[in-house]
Amino acid sequence: MAANISDLPAWFKVGAGTVIGVLGIIWILSPTSTGPANVPTPVTLTQKRIPVYYWHMWSGEWQPVMDRVCTEFNESQTKYEVIPLQIPAAEADQKFLLSVAGGDPPDVMAQWTPAIGTWAQAGVLQPLDTMMTPAEYRYFSKDTFPVVHENGLYKGRLYGLLVNFDVYACYYRPDQFRSAGLNPDQFPSTLESLVDDSLKLTTYDSSGRITRLGFLPTALLNFAGSFGGSFYDPRTGAVLIDTKQNLRALNFIVDAHKKLGFDRLLRFNAGLSSQDGANWPFITGQQAVTLDGEWRVKQLAQYAPNIDYRVALLPPPAGGVPDASFSATSYLTIPNGAKHAAGAWAFIKFWEGLDDPAEGAKFKTWFAWLPDSAQMANTPVYQAYLRQYPQYRIFVDLAASKHISTLPPVPYSVFLQDHITSDDDLAERGALSPSSALKLLDSQIRRQQQQRKALGYDQ
Amino acid sequence: MISNSSNETMIAQKAPTAWSGLLKRSTGVSSSLTLQQRFGAHLILILLCVPALLPFLWMVATSLKGDTQIFSTTLTWSTLFPYPLHWSNYSGALEAIPFVVYLKNTLLLCLVTVVGTTFSSAVVAYGFGKMEFPAKGVLFLLMISTMALPAQVTMVPVFALFRWLHWYGTYLPLMVPSFFGTPFYIFLLTQFYRNLPTTLAEAARIDGAGEWTIFWRIMLPLSKPALITCALFQFMATWNDFFGPLLYINDPSKYTLAYGLQQFLSVHGSEWARLMAASTLFVLPIILLFFLAQKTFIQGVATTGGKN
Repeated sequence: MAANISDLPAWFKVGAGTVIGVLGIIWILSPTSTGPANVPTPVTLTQKRIPVYYWHMWSGEWQPVMDRVCTEFNESQTKYEVIPLQIPAAEADQKFLLSVAGGDPPDVMAQWTPAIGTWAQAGVLQPLDTMMTPAEYRYFSKDTFPVVHENGLYKGRLYGLLVNFDVYACYYRPDQFRSAGLNPDQFPSTLESLVDDSLKLTTYDSSGRITRLGFLPTALLNFAGSFGGSFYDPRTGAVLIDTKQNLRALNFIVDAHKKLGFDRLLRFNAGLSSQDGANWPFITGQQAVTLDGEWRVKQLAQYAPNIDYRVALLPPPAGGVPDASFSATSYLTIPNGAKHAAGAWAFIKFWEGLDDPAEGAKFKTWFAWLPDSAQMANTPVYQAYLRQYPQYRIFVDLAASKHISTLPPVPYSVFLQDHITSDDDLAERGALSPSSALKLLDSQIRRQQQQRKALGYDQ
Repeated sequence: MISNSSNETMIAQKAPTAWSGLLKRSTGVSSSLTLQQRFGAHLILILLCVPALLPFLWMVATSLKGDTQIFSTTLTWSTLFPYPLHWSNYSGALEAIPFVVYLKNTLLLCLVTVVGTTFSSAVVAYGFGKMEFPAKGVLFLLMISTMALPAQVTMVPVFALFRWLHWYGTYLPLMVPSFFGTPFYIFLLTQFYRNLPTTLAEAARIDGAGEWTIFWRIMLPLSKPALITCALFQFMATWNDFFGPLLYINDPSKYTLAYGLQQFLSVHGSEWARLMAASTLFVLPIILLFFLAQKTFIQGVATTGGKN
C-alpha cells in the first residue's frame, strides 16, 4: 500500500520543511548562488585544451604561489592546461595511491616524503629520463647541482624530478656573541670550537635552568656528512649504519648534550613554544646559534625584520668535510596510468626551467627556493633576489656542494628515516649509548631488509 | 478542528501534571541534600567538566589571540586569556576560505545523508525487529559483522566501483551509500523496534493494514526519538567527515568545511589563530544542535539500548 504525502507524520513534514527552507535561504543568500566566485579555483579549463591534472600539497601562503605558476604555464600553452588541486600533506599519499590503484591518478603528483624508491619499485611511477630531449638531459645531468641530478633515482632511472631542496647553515646573532665576549666577525672554524663557544653563549637563571642555548648539535642526519659519514654507498647500493664516521658523529652530538645536561636540555626544549614564525627560538632570543634551512631568511624578514643576524657554513669537525649538509627534498612525479603524461612532462620541465633556466629561476624566487644550477643562480632575476636577501647567498653556494646528502634511494626509505630519527633521539636523550643506538638501528634495518626479501619485495 | 482543540485541552491539562511531577521529583532530590551538599556536588561536577572543556576553551581563546600571544611560553592570566581581542581573526578566516560555499556543501551532504541513512536504516531495522523471514538471524549477524570491516580493507574495491560508475569526483559516492542503511543505526533501531509492543501491529493487521502501512503509519511515528538519535549521529558523522571528501572530491568548489579547514595548515608554519576561528565557527552548529536536541537525544539513546 503506497503512502502519500498527507499520510506523513506531522513532525516529519515540519522537520523536512524547516530543513529545506533553511537550505533554500542559505542557497539564495550565499554569494556564490550565481556561480562559485570566491572558490579557490584560479585555473579552470577555459578552452578546448588537454587537461593536465596536478595534485600538490602547498597550502596556506604557498597555494597562491603554486596557482600562479600554473597560470603562467597555461598562458604559455595552446595545447595543455594544468588544473591544480591542493591536497592535505598528511593524507596526500593515501589519496594518491588510492587513485593509482583505482586507475584514475592525476597526471602530475608532487611528493614530499622520501618515497620515490618505494613507489618506483611498486610500479607506481613512470621514468622521467626517457621523456627528456638530448639538450634537456645534457643540462640536467651536467649543469644542475649534484643534489639535483643525484636524487629522484631508483636503480639508475629518474622517477622524480627534484623541485625543491633545503640545505642547512648556522644562523647567529652578533649582539649575543658580543655579550658573551666572542667576536662575531670570527665565526668558529671547527665544530669543536663552536661547541666550546656554545658554553659561553648559554645562559642560566638563578635555579640553573637554561634561559638561552648557545648551540646544540642535534640530529645525526644533519651531522653525519660533516664527519665523512653517510647512510648509503652509491656504488654497491648498500645502506650504511654502524660505521666509524656515523658513530663519531653521534658520539659528538651526545657529548654536546652531556655537557649541558640531558635533563636540563629536555626541560629547555619542553619550554619552547614553537619552531615556526615569530616564536622560533632564534627570534625570541632563546637560541644564539642554530643550524637551520634557507627558508628562515624570508621568515626573519617577515617576523623579525629588525634583528641583526648573520649566516655561516656549519664548520667541520677536525679532519671533517667543510661544505656538508643534509637536504630535505621534494619531487615532481608522473604516475603510471596518467592520461596525459606528455602534458605532465611539459608542465614539469616548464616549472623546473629545464629548457629555460631563466624562467625556472623566476619561479624559484617566488617560492624562495634554491636554484637548481649555476645558470639559474646567475640569471638577473635570481641575482636581484639575492640582493634583496643577501643572507641567502651562503645557501646558494652550499647548494652547489658535492657533499649534500639525502636519504638513501631504497624502497624502505620512509622506514629508514623514521628509525634513524627515533634511535638518534634515544641517544640524544641519554637513554642509549651512541654505539648501542647505532647497533639497534642496524639490526632494525637488517630485519626490515630480510622481511622484504621474504615477502618477495626485494631481491 | 474539534480534535485539534480537544488535543490542546488535553495537553493543557497534562502539562501542569507533568511539570508538577518533575518539580516534585526535583524537590524530592534536593530536599534530601543540604545547601552545602548541593553546593559541593555542583562544584565537583563543574570541576569534572573542566578537563573536557579545556580544549574547547583553548580553541575559542586562541581564535581571539594575536600571533605572538598564541605560543607564549609564560603561563599568566594575560597569556591564557586573549587581550586585546583579535576579532579580525574571524573575518580573516571567512575571507581566507570560501566558508559559505563549504557550509552550503556540508549542509547539502548532511541533509541527504541524514534523510537517506535514517530512512533506509529504519526500513531495514523494522524488517529485523518486527518481521519473520527465513535466515533472519544469520542475515542480522552478517549485517552486524560488516561493522568489524576496517575501511582500509574496502577502500580500494569501493573506489574502483565508484570510478566504474563514473561517480569519482562527484558527491554521489558520499550520498548514495547512505540510502542502503548503516549497520550501527540498523542495530540501534532494531533494538528499539523489538521493544515496541507487537499488539499494535497485530491490531493494525486485523484492520487490514499491510506491513508498509504498519511501518509508515504506526512504527515510524513511534520511533521518533530513536530516529532523531540516528539522525544526530549521522549529521555529526557527515559534518566531521574528512576522508570521504578527501578521497572522492577533486574540485575545490565542492569541498566541505571539515576538509576545507586543512587549508590553514601550511609547511613551515600554520595560521593557528585563523584556523581556530574557523574551527570555532565549525563546531558551533554541532553544539547548538546538541543543546536543542538534548532531551530527545537522551531519550533516543535510552530507548535504543545505547544506555542501560
